[in-house]
Amino acid sequence: MDQYVPLIRKKDKQPIRFLVVDDSIFARKNLTKMIDVFGGELAGEAGDGCTAITEYNRTLPDIVLMDITMPQMEGIEAVERIVRQHADARIIMVSSVGYQENILAALQKGAKHFVQKPVRPDVLYEIIRYVLGDDAEAAPAVTTLAGEARL
Amino acid sequence: MTFFSEERAAELREVFFESSQEILQGLNECGLALEKHADDPAILRRVRRALHTLKGDAAACGYLDMSKLAHDLEDAFSAELPAGKTGALAELVLTAADTFHAMLSAYRENILPPPSEAVRACLQQYLGQHPGQHPAQHSAPHSAQHPGGGPSTLPPAEHSASRGAQFGWSEYEQMMIEEAVARGEAVYNVALEIVPDSPLRAAALQLVRNVLHACGSILALRPDDNVVVEDVKVIEAAVASSRSRDWIEQKCAIPSVVSAILIEKIEDSEMKIVESGQAHLVPQAVPPSSVAALHTVENSLRVDTARIDAVMNLVGELIIGKSALQQIVSEFEKRLPRDPLRSRFVDALAFQSRVLGDLQKSVMKIRMVPVEQLFRRFPRVVRDVAKSCGKDVALTVSGQQTDLDKSILDALAEPMAHLVRNAVGHGIEPSEERIAAGKPARGMVRLKAYHQGNQVVIEVGDDGRGIDSASLLSKAIERGIITREEAARLSPAESLNLVFQPGLSTASQVTEISGRGVGMDVVRTALEHMKGSVRIESKPGVGTTFLLMVPLTLASIQALLFRAGDQLYAVPLTMVLEITRATEDEIHRVDNREVLRLRDQVLTVVRLDRLARTRPVAVARRLYVVVVAVADRKFALLVDRMVGEEELVMKSLDGCLFDAEMVSGASILGDGTVVLILNLPAVTARLGKAQPLEATA
Repeated sequence: MDQYVPLIRKKDKQPIRFLVVDDSIFARKNLTKMIDVFGGELAGEAGDGCTAITEYNRTLPDIVLMDITMPQMEGIEAVERIVRQHADARIIMVSSVGYQENILAALQKGAKHFVQKPVRPDVLYEIIRYVLGDDAEAAPAVTTLAGEARL
Repeated sequence: MTFFSEERAAELREVFFESSQEILQGLNECGLALEKHADDPAILRRVRRALHTLKGDAAACGYLDMSKLAHDLEDAFSAELPAGKTGALAELVLTAADTFHAMLSAYRENILPPPSEAVRACLQQYLGQHPGQHPAQHSAPHSAQHPGGGPSTLPPAEHSASRGAQFGWSEYEQMMIEEAVARGEAVYNVALEIVPDSPLRAAALQLVRNVLHACGSILALRPDDNVVVEDVKVIEAAVASSRSRDWIEQKCAIPSVVSAILIEKIEDSEMKIVESGQAHLVPQAVPPSSVAALHTVENSLRVDTARIDAVMNLVGELIIGKSALQQIVSEFEKRLPRDPLRSRFVDALAFQSRVLGDLQKSVMKIRMVPVEQLFRRFPRVVRDVAKSCGKDVALTVSGQQTDLDKSILDALAEPMAHLVRNAVGHGIEPSEERIAAGKPARGMVRLKAYHQGNQVVIEVGDDGRGIDSASLLSKAIERGIITREEAARLSPAESLNLVFQPGLSTASQVTEISGRGVGMDVVRTALEHMKGSVRIESKPGVGTTFLLMVPLTLASIQALLFRAGDQLYAVPLTMVLEITRATEDEIHRVDNREVLRLRDQVLTVVRLDRLARTRPVAVARRLYVVVVAVADRKFALLVDRMVGEEELVMKSLDGCLFDAEMVSGASILGDGTVVLILNLPAVTARLGKAQPLEATA
């Protein structure tokens, strides 16, 4: 099992807040679990692109984990709309290999990174850390975070 | 950690072999140019560049001997050239080109390269001319070691990025970089190695681009958008940024996308090196994938000919399919002339066949290369031969832009080299003899290419002594190739054609260059192989010209189809002169040969029914006669029925169904019928010969 140093926001020392967007409940659950392991906080969930936009506006998360293929509105369009309103939005695309074209499009629209399904927690952690860059720092080691990403 | 797998390395070596051929060709041209303008700095720069590229590329492929030699030569050329001491330069360049060529062939065969003493001796001699020139003294600035190689703080894995990086910016890009540096901006060369097994490579590249954009303004980026993403291993960029180097490094360390990073600031002093026009900066570096190698050939792409052939073959199948469709449609028209579907059918088919025709043309064009590629070799050949037999010969070339199928071009190389060597070695007289004959002292060899109908004609001409047909005839009789009686009847053109007989050479002496008695027959065989022909024009004292006629392409031919006996045959339309009719009584026997009188000409008759030993062409009926030209002679082919004209896609014939010599290929018609394409030179040679009387009875 990997140990992850919990990340917190530099400005207010609060946990990192995530918005998880995926039409599969299982996938959302899985990602939520990982966020938990990373010491993050789930700000909101969405099962389609439209909800993702309203949820983003409501919760203003630090990071969005966005599926590519969804009903109502595809991930790409959701990315485009969110980035149009919030230029500093940090969106990480979550997708299987078959959708390379879509990932490419999402990156062109302003997504910050992508991660491949099935998501490996260690990879996702590194990507999250990278995307946050200087805005995040390691939390002082007080909590004993027991948790395991069951994949 | 290495950048390239073994398979990748093999691919790279292939690229190296091919590109080096071009570089060597360039060296040869430089050498020849240096003979005329010994101290032209532009040429010397070209030589240096060529050597430099060879050095880097060879080292990258692990051919250290070659790299070392190129390195030493480059040093010699980098030295300041003392005025008037440049005579040996041309010789040095040409010898070097030969040596490199030999080395390349050896490497290709995976054997040890031959010793390079000749060129080393040349080099010594040359260096001896200006004492005080020590190669080592110049190696530092000109080997152009890439500065850096990664600061020591980088983890070991990241050194590999520096190995793959070369930052070979184009002149324009260099200018942009220089300007930015001059404005006081900080410019960084950034090389990022993409995680080798990344399945989302296109996305990874996009992400890298995004990140680079976020770092500052991108002045140069390799590879650019239009390359196959699977081939990209390293991304190189020059970025002007207001951020610190650490910041950029942190940004570029993209998890699961970038596996190694090299960042270096471009200083003014470094620009000097870049400025000196060195294309490849890191001698021991692997060229950063074939993608970068492709970059140097702007907008062009190296493709294995096999792939083009595959496409060609498919187009051929489509054409066969099209003619099948056409037959069905005409059947349809016959059966249901009033059906409204009919015209829609016809329209659709017309559209399809137009597109198909365009497709075929486009594919053909891919295979076309200008004749120049072939002609380029000959200045060197002419020079070498002229030098070795002490003659003064100039070469003029015209029509280099004429396009020709690559495979034909390749097949022409040998026969043409032979003809050119012959022209210089035997055709052109020594200067004294020329002056005595009232000709300019300098001999002239001409290469010329032009279109003629569906063919390309390539002329190899000289203004030498011409072919002495009398001595040719007596030699042919002496060797028993023809009898004295036959000789008496030969036309001047026919007697000239005797040079193509195996074992006949008019050369009075056998030299190293030409005149070994083999050759001219090989020339003709080669031409016949590619369904071309060769003709000679020669005037004693004025010169000889060989006309090589080759088809534009080998993939398909316009052919005339006819039936003889029970077989369906085709002949290339380019060889057909006319179609006429005759009756059996018009065929006469002269000297055991059947002839047909056509207007004022007497043509040898060829009975195709003898080919397959089928039922003879009906006697006394009116016959169709197809008049064909083979070399300089005309023949009358007797056939039963004309079938038509059609574009045939050649399929090679490897069965033993038929006399393979007589048939050059086969094709399938739309209805599935197989048609045999006759190899006319062989057919007329065999069936046009004298026949014993009873055979025609």
